[in-house]
Amino acid sequence: MYSNLSDHPHLTEVFTTAHGAVFQNDTDRCWQVNFAGKNARFDYRCLLKLRTAVYRIDIEQRLLDSTKSPDVEIIFICACDHCYVLSLAQIIALRDLLEGTFVMLELNQIIYDRLHRVPAYI
Amino acid sequence: MKDLVRVKTLISSDIEALLNKQIKMEAYSSSVYLSMASWCNRNGYDFSSNYFFKQAEEERQHQLKFFKYILDMGGNSVSPDVTNIKQEYNSFREVFEEALDQEINVTQSIKNIYARCLKEQDFVTIEFLNWFLKEQREEEYKARRALELFEVIGEEGTGRWQIDKHVGEIKYDSQA
Ligand SMILES: [Fe+2]
Ligand SMILES: [Fe+2]
Repeated sequence: MYSNLSDHPHLTEVFTTAHGAVFQNDTDRCWQVNFAGKNARFDYRCLLKLRTAVYRIDIEQRLLDSTKSPDVEIIFICACDHCYVLSLAQIIALRDLLEGTFVMLELNQIIYDRLHRVPAYI
Repeated sequence: MKDLVRVKTLISSDIEALLNKQIKMEAYSSSVYLSMASWCNRNGYDFSSNYFFKQAEEERQHQLKFFKYILDMGGNSVSPDVTNIKQEYNSFREVFEEALDQEINVTQSIKNIYARCLKEQDFVTIEFLNWFLKEQREEEYKARRALELFEVIGEEGTGRWQIDKHVGEIKYDSQA
């Protein structure tokens, strides 16, 4: 985690939970995902792939299914450099983090429209 | 903070997902029509078989239109899995009943995307969808006309032979 954001002026906090945080890097046009002890960098395409991969996991079914497979999920994202090995609790936490992140990115788009693109349009 | 998402893509991820579902639906329609063309051909309904071959081709074009639109807007088009295509029909009439049902489903689905676009004020996609709304007028009209032939002509005697012949002549040239 970044103990002091002001040391990284190109980074903006997008969303933070008790378990992780996402920062946007305006200079490199990418996002830093701090989660499960990793600080991983994602461009837009890869961030979407991560979201799809995480949302696709059927958490309820995994909670009910006590028969086989250990309680971990490997999230491998094609053509991105990262891979996560997560427990069920971590998957729920990561989903929370990503949901919040995408809501904030959407909000940012609305704010950006109002401030810079169509300021008179209210 | 820059709006990096908007820089990458014109459409929202919700719209993108709906458009991808539509791609799958058009691909499915195309395969169903192909199966109908096969059934009609095997059962001696040549004009209807040709009619469905043409429909299958059109649906393929619709699929590609959606596919290219998403890519042009900076999104991700997904090549769909198409499964569970019915291969056998119980009657000549059943084929046309299901063809109309399918077109109605497509119209409803496009209306649903349109409603979502209105909510998001995605006027760019609305403008793109307008072509499909007009197309669905024609698609439903033709499917409905074909089915009406069963009432008008009747299936007795050489009725089915006559119906088949007339299916080949269905046209939509409304100026409305
Ligand atoms: Fe179509
Ligand atoms: Fe159609």
